[in-house]
Amino acid sequence: MLFSSIPFLFYFLPAVLALYFLVPKNLKNAVLLLFSLVFYAWGEPVYVFLMIGTIALFFFCGVAIGKSKTQRGKKLWLTVSVVVSLTLLAIFKYADFLVGNVNSLLGTNIPLLELALPIGISFYTFQCLSYTIDVYRGNAQVQKNIVSFGAYVSLFPQLIAGPIVRYVDVARELDNRTHSWENIRLGLRRFLIGLGKKILIANQFGELTNLFRDSGEKSVVFYWIYAVAFALHIYFDFSGYSDMAIGLGRVFGFHFIENFNYPYLSRSVAEFWRRWHMSLGSWFRDYVYIPLGGNRVSRGRWVFNTLVVWMLTGLWHGAAWNFVLWGLLYAVCLLIEKFVPALQKLPDILRRGYTLLVVVLGFVLFNAADLAQAVSDIGGMFGFGNVPFVSPETLYFLRSYALLFAVALVGATPAVKQLAGRLEGKGIGLVLETVLILALLLVCTAYLVDGSFNPFLYFRF
Amino acid sequence: MKKNIGIFVLLVLWGALAVFAWVKPAGEASEAERRPLAQFPAVSGESLLSGQFVTDFEDYTLDQFPGRDLFRKLKALTHYNLFGQRDNNGIYIADGYAAKLDYPVRTEDVDHALTRLSYVYETFLKPAGSKVYTTVIPDKGYYLAEENGYPAMDYEELLRTFREKLPFGEFVDITDCLDYTDYYFTDTHWRQENLLPVAQKLSAAMGVTPPQKADFTQTKLDRPFYGVYYGQAALAMDPEDLYILESDLLDACQVYDFETDKYTPVYNLEKLSGKDPYDVFLSGAKSLLRLENLKAKTDRELLIFRDSFGSSLAPLLAQDYKTVTLVDIRYLDSRLLGNFLEFNGQDVLFAYSTSVLNSGTTLK
Repeated sequence: MLFSSIPFLFYFLPAVLALYFLVPKNLKNAVLLLFSLVFYAWGEPVYVFLMIGTIALFFFCGVAIGKSKTQRGKKLWLTVSVVVSLTLLAIFKYADFLVGNVNSLLGTNIPLLELALPIGISFYTFQCLSYTIDVYRGNAQVQKNIVSFGAYVSLFPQLIAGPIVRYVDVARELDNRTHSWENIRLGLRRFLIGLGKKILIANQFGELTNLFRDSGEKSVVFYWIYAVAFALHIYFDFSGYSDMAIGLGRVFGFHFIENFNYPYLSRSVAEFWRRWHMSLGSWFRDYVYIPLGGNRVSRGRWVFNTLVVWMLTGLWHGAAWNFVLWGLLYAVCLLIEKFVPALQKLPDILRRGYTLLVVVLGFVLFNAADLAQAVSDIGGMFGFGNVPFVSPETLYFLRSYALLFAVALVGATPAVKQLAGRLEGKGIGLVLETVLILALLLVCTAYLVDGSFNPFLYFRF
Repeated sequence: MKKNIGIFVLLVLWGALAVFAWVKPAGEASEAERRPLAQFPAVSGESLLSGQFVTDFEDYTLDQFPGRDLFRKLKALTHYNLFGQRDNNGIYIADGYAAKLDYPVRTEDVDHALTRLSYVYETFLKPAGSKVYTTVIPDKGYYLAEENGYPAMDYEELLRTFREKLPFGEFVDITDCLDYTDYYFTDTHWRQENLLPVAQKLSAAMGVTPPQKADFTQTKLDRPFYGVYYGQAALAMDPEDLYILESDLLDACQVYDFETDKYTPVYNLEKLSGKDPYDVFLSGAKSLLRLENLKAKTDRELLIFRDSFGSSLAPLLAQDYKTVTLVDIRYLDSRLLGNFLEFNGQDVLFAYSTSVLNSGTTLK
């Protein structure tokens, strides 16, 4: 089920909120688990059983790790949880990629599995892995209540598009959290801001990128409009979803970690990844990069570690070579930034410009259907492929989307948040807040009712 | 407490909309959008497991949402006025006229349409020795789009292709007989009361007496007209007036509907209360009609292969013809024409709008 849908906003959410706040404290996790399973089954009526199986697997592995007296026993159960979950992920997400490449390389004709990708499998698998690894490391207590554990894994606010909430970060709140009007106010405000980012900005740029793809009159300027529009689309789509997830979590008394911190203001690629999809970056850092030795190893080994982590980051986003190359692009940039310290002494404007260029080109690669399209799109941006510099169609879209670009570019900076911070708690601030959240609800509903374009990019991960 | 007033108001509004959405009786149809509304889907194990129930339920919630038309207006206003977007759902408004973005020329669609028309000529018209005339009816965008900075199809290319691929017909260019004011503000179609120059040019080309203004009385119909773009644009636009051109000759004409085997008037006023008042012209979308001119002074016959634009044009061409047969091969497979029509060397007019040619796969 999509957050940005009428069934969620006016059927599911009111029902879950009403029941959740009506039942006594000891039943709240059960309500969350039940509704989360319905939420998942709404879009994945069959794969909900895969998720229930994953919950059971990690719950029992966690208990087994806790009960094991020996390090070997703990390691065995950790290995079981890691191997089984990664195997499932590999089967559903990567098998056809592997088979396709084997067929291409060896000329074989191994049939593809052609399984539909279970929504959010990458997110909930990584969340579960963080649980058994942290229990194994002694960083987290074993959860002995399967309802609470199930509620953690399936928690609908962040189930299908993150942030990747580690068990250790919400363990205390799973068993004991507070509910307040303040949490509801801040949570719903955050949710509606995220909904607005998604529906009013991301979806509009999503439409523009589709219009570009369908256009028969591409131009150099249109290629750039597409590239910038997609970068804004993916940012507002994903950060909007994270806002909604964090906001809903807050309503239910959870404090999820932040996932974005104005990444387009970064002055280096390294900084960009400290600000973009922070929960994924920190997951790979703590569960892959550091166990590989991090940077406390030889230079050659460190380069290897960096390449592995970023290749995996690319693959996490999708089973295709353009995702692998996208990850490796960042690895190369990070290595260059490390080996050429002079880059950090350049004026801020140049550093920001270079970072944005890498990010925008990276997203063109990311969004391409295949490598040929990526080459064609990037070539088009630089005038290759015999395209005109500009066309009447390009000018039309430039004019039509000019204001939206301006709104999005300002929205990608902390300016609005800073302004809101200055008004917070003041009378005018409260009035504006009320008007804003009511307007967001009504206008977002209006866009949904009119049946606009409405996919979530990160569902495919 | 003061801090939470806003959230109380929000929850009340949100809750009220939710309750209304749950309990509101389902509507049957949307007048503005001219379509039936989705109803609550049937529940079955198969529909649940396949995801069909979910898809249908989502359609149902969108269609039946309380205040749907108001919300669609709010969206359109926000889209146009807050975000400065120049079209909403592909509909733009220039100089008060709503028009549809329709570009570029879809070569495959156009080729398909022209192939079907060539088939009709080669199979039925050529053997019968018919004299064929062709014309392309420009849509509103021909006059509005480029002048107002909207992307447009390459009309000249479309017209050139049309002429080149239908070399058997004498092409009559009517683009100079019209401008955008000859179309309805809120609808795709042209105004019959402004079509005399078009009818005169076509009549002259076909060697029949061109109709004159004095031959007709312009009658205003008493139903406000909201065209198809009104619903699609969802903007507050004023209704407009529908006029028909009446004459003694047309009063004496009758229209035979091959589908129903019944006669109807040229202007079917019963259609004014239907979902599309433009259907007043020859009763709207019909696969095969024969307009019989009981006052005709000749035995000449005219066959018009046409789309909906032809409904308001055909009565103006009837003067010298004993019958005007209108064929719409969007609704009748052209391979079956011989089953319904006798081809005996009638005059033939192919009159298709740019929008139908550019979505030509609809021609059968």
